[in-house]
Amino acid sequence: MSREQHQARLLRFLETIRRPDKRVEDIDPNENLVQAGLIDSLALLEIVTFLESEFAIDFAATGVDPGRLTTIPSILDLIEQHTT
Amino acid sequence: MFLAPSPGPLIEPLAGRRWQPEEIERQVRRRAASYRSRGLRRGDRVLLGFGNRLEFFADLLAIWQFGGCAVPLDARLTRFEIETLARTARPKAYIALGDVDSGLAATLRDLGAEVIDSAEAGRPGQTENGGASTLALEDDALILFTSGTTGNPKGVVHTHRTLRARWVALRQSLGLEKYRRTLCLLPTHFGHGLICNSLFPWLFGQELFILPPFTPEAVMHLGAILDEHRITFLSSVPSVWRLAVKLARPPRAGTLERVFVGSAPLSSHLWRQIQQWSGTRDVCNAYGITETGSWVAGTTVPDLEPEDGLIGVPWGAVVAVTVEGLADRPPGVGELCATGQSGFIWLNTPALMKGYLDRDDLTAQCVRAGWFLTGDLGFIDPRGYLYLRGRIRDEINKGGTKVYPADVEAVVEQFSGVADFCCFAVEDPHYGQNVGLALVMPDGNDDSIRKLYEWLRVHLAEHQMPVRWHLLQTLPRTSRGKVNRDRIAEVCRTSPVLDLRAILSRTS
Repeated sequence: MSREQHQARLLRFLETIRRPDKRVEDIDPNENLVQAGLIDSLALLEIVTFLESEFAIDFAATGVDPGRLTTIPSILDLIEQHTT
Repeated sequence: MFLAPSPGPLIEPLAGRRWQPEEIERQVRRRAASYRSRGLRRGDRVLLGFGNRLEFFADLLAIWQFGGCAVPLDARLTRFEIETLARTARPKAYIALGDVDSGLAATLRDLGAEVIDSAEAGRPGQTENGGASTLALEDDALILFTSGTTGNPKGVVHTHRTLRARWVALRQSLGLEKYRRTLCLLPTHFGHGLICNSLFPWLFGQELFILPPFTPEAVMHLGAILDEHRITFLSSVPSVWRLAVKLARPPRAGTLERVFVGSAPLSSHLWRQIQQWSGTRDVCNAYGITETGSWVAGTTVPDLEPEDGLIGVPWGAVVAVTVEGLADRPPGVGELCATGQSGFIWLNTPALMKGYLDRDDLTAQCVRAGWFLTGDLGFIDPRGYLYLRGRIRDEINKGGTKVYPADVEAVVEQFSGVADFCCFAVEDPHYGQNVGLALVMPDGNDDSIRKLYEWLRVHLAEHQMPVRWHLLQTLPRTSRGKVNRDRIAEVCRTSPVLDLRAILSRTS
């Protein structure tokens, strides 16, 4: 699966957890998702659950670097690292 | 020791800041001198608009030194909520760390409160003679607002005597050895985080490490933080532990000696996970209520196996369970439950609050003859251990943070176009509970819902915002016309959830 396809799946997921009055397209691609107000801080856990179920990333084995969950590009990098 | 606490070192591990006791003493002196020079006197109330910083603790002691009463606020509150609390507390000062919204500052000044920058008050150069302490045991020391931020604030008033009664009881029941390097990652504006997790060990000379509250980034690094700072104790809430056991690598240094979990029900499953993750079996389900100075009972009993609802033994309190939950029938008047029989939990402790601020009516609803009616249901087993079985309060427990339906409803009520409404708890896989809202809006359409959403965003803090909205034709009520929250929650479980994202996208 290409990075574009990963991104499409990720964006579809973010659409389900974003704050109702914020839109994904309104934030800069490199912006911190929490600081931009798109999601609340505990939604990081939902992102982890999404990555585990959709991309079979086993965080229990690898641990989580929260810095890699903060922006869309960094999450895509994480997916690529675990799926290639 | 009872009258003169001796604070230990304070550390902000993420910022790399540390104040030794000598520096803390200096900071307190400077601040007390500064506040006195601004006319603050014994009995004055002071709002603290920030928390979880070294400066917060220095300000707290400085306020106590000149005989003032500290009112720590949740930093997440909206301007509207802070103004509501200020109108009730009638403070003489508002201490902030950093910029204050100009509109809020103007309102506070109109209410007679001077806005003071904590950093400015702690700067060297001015007189460092804080003056003699004017602290008296019966003086109000602390007011913690537990609800009513949008309408009718409920402020728990503790005196220096009731706080000291709690700390002394904890020292006698728990000792200090395991608390010598304590970590606080809870907010310092409520009882659990402030009175017990922070002040209890710190004021008895133990080291206190302070993190920003409820920060997932910090929780994900929790194992590393525990190791690096050789933490021996921390307390937290179940939602933080759900995050930690899943995302943080376990500590490796083996320094953790005791863990407390409180402010929300702890399942035996999560309890065991915490034991495994933390590397200590000494994981305690702590039961605390702000009105009793927080921690009042817990599982500090050797070799107890985790069980759903198991609390354990009281610390500096007497627990009784009555058949009826009537405030005018406390233990001794009302009938006590038999061993193992569930009923209404009462507590009797010298750490019981003085009362609710200017609300004798509310105090009378739960305090009688020294007993406090907790609003919790439970029983005492043949060993004398307390078990919790439920609550009769309306509060929504969102990951340990309490949200009161009445606070949300007070804001909804002011929005025209809403004919009827009810705020209630919904299940949430991460927080345990979250905020649901049922609405009857005869002319409800995208535009009115968007305006209501914007109205709530201005008046409610982030954690109070309803996340699940339902439009209903009518709300189920009891035969007496009262809102039946449980029934409404049940109806909403099978009714469509409004797609707020789509609605707000279409109209914005």
